[in-house]
Amino acid sequence: MPPRAWTDPGEAPHGHRRRAGVALTTLAVVASVVAAMLIAGPRQGALGAGGAPAALSEGSLQVTNLPPLLTTPDDPPTTLRYDVTCAAPDTNPDAGCDVAGTVFVRAGQSGPFRAIPLVLDPNAAVGRYAASLPGTLAGSSFSYYAVVHDNRTGQSVTLPAGGAAAPQRSILMPRPVTVSLGAHAFGVTSRASARVASAPWGDGPTQAGLEDGPQLEPIGGSSFDVDAAGNVTVLDEAHRRLLRFAAGKPTAPTSLPVDVRGTIADLRSRADGGADVLESAADPGQTPVMHSFDVNGRTTGTWHAAQNVASALRVGPAGPEALEYPSAQWMPIGAAAGARASLTNQIRRALTGRAQNAGGQIVAEREGAEARIALVDAHGGVQVGWRIRSTTPLAEIQLAEPFGNRVLVVLRTYTDAQDEFVALVLGSRGLEQQRSIAPDEWAETAPLSRFRMVGSSLYHLGSTPAGMFVDRYDLEVQ
Amino acid sequence: MLATLAARSCRTAAGVAFVAAVATTVFLTTAHVARAYHTRFIALNCNTNNPQPTSAFTRDGSTTVALNARYEGYQWAGGCWNDNNKDDSPNDPTEDPNTGGEGPDCSGFTFKVWRESTNSSDAGGYQWNMLRNVHGPYNALAFRNGDGAPNVTYAKSGLIRMDALASSSHIGIVYAPNADGTDQIIEAKGEAYGTNIWTRTYRGDSSYGGVRRLGWSS
Repeated sequence: MPPRAWTDPGEAPHGHRRRAGVALTTLAVVASVVAAMLIAGPRQGALGAGGAPAALSEGSLQVTNLPPLLTTPDDPPTTLRYDVTCAAPDTNPDAGCDVAGTVFVRAGQSGPFRAIPLVLDPNAAVGRYAASLPGTLAGSSFSYYAVVHDNRTGQSVTLPAGGAAAPQRSILMPRPVTVSLGAHAFGVTSRASARVASAPWGDGPTQAGLEDGPQLEPIGGSSFDVDAAGNVTVLDEAHRRLLRFAAGKPTAPTSLPVDVRGTIADLRSRADGGADVLESAADPGQTPVMHSFDVNGRTTGTWHAAQNVASALRVGPAGPEALEYPSAQWMPIGAAAGARASLTNQIRRALTGRAQNAGGQIVAEREGAEARIALVDAHGGVQVGWRIRSTTPLAEIQLAEPFGNRVLVVLRTYTDAQDEFVALVLGSRGLEQQRSIAPDEWAETAPLSRFRMVGSSLYHLGSTPAGMFVDRYDLEVQ
Repeated sequence: MLATLAARSCRTAAGVAFVAAVATTVFLTTAHVARAYHTRFIALNCNTNNPQPTSAFTRDGSTTVALNARYEGYQWAGGCWNDNNKDDSPNDPTEDPNTGGEGPDCSGFTFKVWRESTNSSDAGGYQWNMLRNVHGPYNALAFRNGDGAPNVTYAKSGLIRMDALASSSHIGIVYAPNADGTDQIIEAKGEAYGTNIWTRTYRGDSSYGGVRRLGWSS
């Protein structure tokens, strides 16, 4: 059944002409978060300040969207596509949905939203619910969110979850710097400047553990970080501890027990010697949590992610931020989200890119065999943007870190038989440095935890059947 | 240690069948010991009903099947679950394939989500209900090789929702691609993880190959 427009368009939350649609949407978001906190009440005592558990509202209606984060003037007209899955009998999962959906879109990042109904494209294999943007938005930045309503169950989903308060943004790069990588030459990899940490697999005090079980790909040493002094911390999640390698002592770690689940998690070191760990798995009915540990490994806080998929942990100017789905946004978490109502703040302060100083963001997108990177100012303007074209397919963007007036980007390039990482130093006039790094990923880690940049060095977490290691690559730039 | 690791597999059908038979014998003779961890989820909840042949099966429909298993458990060689959003057999011993707990393993999950036949020469669609305990004839490696009439290997760069990425020991299904080039994968990951959606980098990992189920009606 074709979807119908469900509710009226709204405006920015601070607009003078806010309409009932947006008010209701915003209220619904806030109410659902508050309800989640109330439902989860009995567990609150186990958590730190601001760490009320997030009860999952999985429901039966699920909506996903692959956002066009960065566009260029020569891109074809944008059609926003959504995958919608709704309740169906176990005996007839192909019954199909009876949903109504509306995309609310506006030029730039302020002003009123315009409602565009989602229309079922019956011939599409995926992204079957589509909204073609008006021509007036062609060649411009825009922001948007969708509200999808299941007519059978009455359930509604807003995506991103913050709705008008934190819409997804699509940012035009008016004059991107184009970098053409051509076809990747596999097997020509750089040597590391130094191996700064290594540990064999095993259960000893200086060894790194592998998660147990006959069913698993090997998983171990699931994330790492490096502080300004060059000290390396590895999350040895299988042993529920941190392995700390002091600078200059790459094979003699000290271990520090920490209260984590023992499954894949991301890690960030803090300047005070403590660490934050973002779990990927969660207790039943809960979202993943981020733990904060002090320098002695004592838990100082535990905060739930607002959404049920938490992919990566980074540190922005205000503190930790997590990449969460299905909103596909970076959300402040823990102290960065405020001591109270952190779930609400996560959702309402979500960003398309990672927060930078002075209200800026760094936005990264991979589209087919092209990666796009942009430094965006607080007003949504692109300071500098890059299009990285490759004739060999590109997989994930592992890292995109600004330093000075440059950006360091680490991409994975792949075929069906090979893969390697490619580290690029991008300047305002194009590619300044390029090197290939062998994947060395015998053991699985958190998805976006294989590289870190500290100072002017790139660090790589790798593994072989013998053990894990961290290599340092010194970038030949000032 | 390395030999043990090299032998790790999501499931090796023949091996599991043998181990299951041995374990069943052991269970029957040492039930008082087994009960210490055995939730008997399969014995108490699951059935052996015939599947419903279906002439038209969609990617959206298979997504619904997959989401019904979300937040449920993991059982090595398993293929039966309910939809109460919790693992009813938590903390089963990971090395024991006969714990009879809730949930699929990675290849059993793919088999039921793709609604395949236990006859590997039959490419038709078969709707198995959640509580039907069935694993299917394929392990992760067989899927990776495109074994069976319904399955083919497929270029990873062209994979879309409800296609899969398989290694020699694990398989996960693409739920949604992400803007940063990772994928949201829905998978039965392991006893400590259960069945859920996670962000993964399987697409670029050369140990994984692309697999597609044939015959989608849309």
